[in-house]
Amino acid sequence: MNYALIALGITLIFAIMGVLNFAHGQMYVLGGFVTYYVYGVFGLNYFVALAASAVTVACVGLVFERFLFRRVLRITTREESTMLLAAGTALLLDSLGLALFGEKQRGVAPVVAGVYEIFGAFVPASRALIFVLAGGLVGALLLFIQYTRPGRALRAIAQDKETAALQGVDIDRYSALGFALGAALAGLAGGLLVTVFAVNAGAGTPISIKAFIMIMIGGAGVVSGAILGAFVLGFSEALGYFFIPGSTTYLMILVGLIVFLIFRPQGIMGKPWG
Amino acid sequence: MYFAVRHVSVYYDKVRAVSDISLVMDAGDVIAIIGANGAGKTTTLRAVTGLAPVASGEIWFDGHRIDRLRPDRIVGLGISMVPEGRHVFPFMSVGDNLLMGAFARRDRRAIEQDVERVFARFPRLKERRRQQAGTLSGGEQQMLAIGRALMARPKLLLMDEPSLGLAPHLVREIARAILAVNREEKVAVVLVEQNSRMALKVSTRAYVLETGQVALEGRSADLLNNEQVRRLYLGG
Ligand SMILES: Nc1ncnc2c1ncn2[C@@H]1O[C@H](COP(=O)(O)OP(=O)(O)OP(=O)(O)O)[C@@H](O)[C@H]1O
Ligand SMILES: [Mg+2]
Repeated sequence: MNYALIALGITLIFAIMGVLNFAHGQMYVLGGFVTYYVYGVFGLNYFVALAASAVTVACVGLVFERFLFRRVLRITTREESTMLLAAGTALLLDSLGLALFGEKQRGVAPVVAGVYEIFGAFVPASRALIFVLAGGLVGALLLFIQYTRPGRALRAIAQDKETAALQGVDIDRYSALGFALGAALAGLAGGLLVTVFAVNAGAGTPISIKAFIMIMIGGAGVVSGAILGAFVLGFSEALGYFFIPGSTTYLMILVGLIVFLIFRPQGIMGKPWG
Repeated sequence: MYFAVRHVSVYYDKVRAVSDISLVMDAGDVIAIIGANGAGKTTTLRAVTGLAPVASGEIWFDGHRIDRLRPDRIVGLGISMVPEGRHVFPFMSVGDNLLMGAFARRDRRAIEQDVERVFARFPRLKERRRQQAGTLSGGEQQMLAIGRALMARPKLLLMDEPSLGLAPHLVREIARAILAVNREEKVAVVLVEQNSRMALKVSTRAYVLETGQVALEGRSADLLNNEQVRRLYLGG
């Protein structure tokens, strides 16, 4: 479910702006740190901390969109430019994170105590909580995109930007909304997962790579693909760690991905957008 | 004048696609723009809707100067467009496509009523209201594109080659729909067409574009009988 949040965030940004958000993992890490400080250090309510993560990272997304991507997209149509810019923002956040938060691994205490027994397996209550929260957020996002006026505008921009403008959609405004929303999802995922896995300033890049893997499995820019990709990656990881010791798992996943992409480069759901 | 394009030029990079074009029309009128491939018809409409930057000249609509406005502001003033090649949102349902047409409006009740009106006008869309627009036939997509444009309750409707690629009976159906919309909804129509005969029959006045300039203009009935127009655009 958390993977689904990450994958949906990066999908949203890609579909709306045509920008592959290299900094997605860094945004996730930032979200984790915000929750760490607000909840873990200052001791405020966990949900306040989550909201703070979402808002902070959304603001970072807004600033990136408004001052960097929008300008670059306006003056050039070359994809390399936005790719480089995106990679640049990732490095920027990485070094800022290191400077601000240091190298230490930061975790927080579980939000709720206790253990549930579900079908004979023992699940810590805090894990169950973030699973449910993440699921709720994914559901809310899908409903928002499918059934609300702004959601329709976002879909319209993703499918045909000029025609969306012809219907009266303010492209700049809704692109900013899409970017902020995608970033907020990364922040939320960070805020949720920091309660289970600690974060550190260098953790961004691997998360970004996982996000890329998920959307490559599912098909870039497709909502259903993002969710599918998240589940495929989640299950492969779980299976891999269960059956194969150590770090071979990711090697296998990557090899599997490359083989898969040879046969189906557009991903499972691969259409331009859905 | 209700709608006026005055000495407008449009460039793509350094290439001039439209040079010094002027058009005028009265409220409630239907005018046609005809011309060969690459004459600048689409570019003219794109300039009106704000999609193509106007390098020089002015565009006026209903008392507003619109040549420096963004597309979404121009829609808000009451101009909507049926783009060349339909451009329905392919992965959206027919119903959602129509709702997108009403994006600039906030009156929910009236929007729902207007959806029903579009369905009454194009019953085939109603049967397919939950179907993805990309899976519709060409003719159905054209009807959807027209319906979507009507959902904005426009005062001026710009149509770019609505008959393109349609079978003759569908072309007649589209032509009837254009006239019906013009009369019943009191919408002024600018009709861009390669099908010059249809366009000249439907419109009251027409402009003939050649290489980005107005080569000829006049009453459509006169142009239908004009020797040069007959030879170049009506096939003899
Ligand atoms: N995006 C673009 N970039 C560069 N040049 C363009 C672009 N769009 C159109 N042009 C050029 O501008 C000129 C006018 O094109 P336009 O599309 O307005 O013609 P048209 O009359 O609509 O033609 P058609 O009947 O084929 O639709 C053409 O010479 C065309 O090559
Ligand atoms: Mg054209």
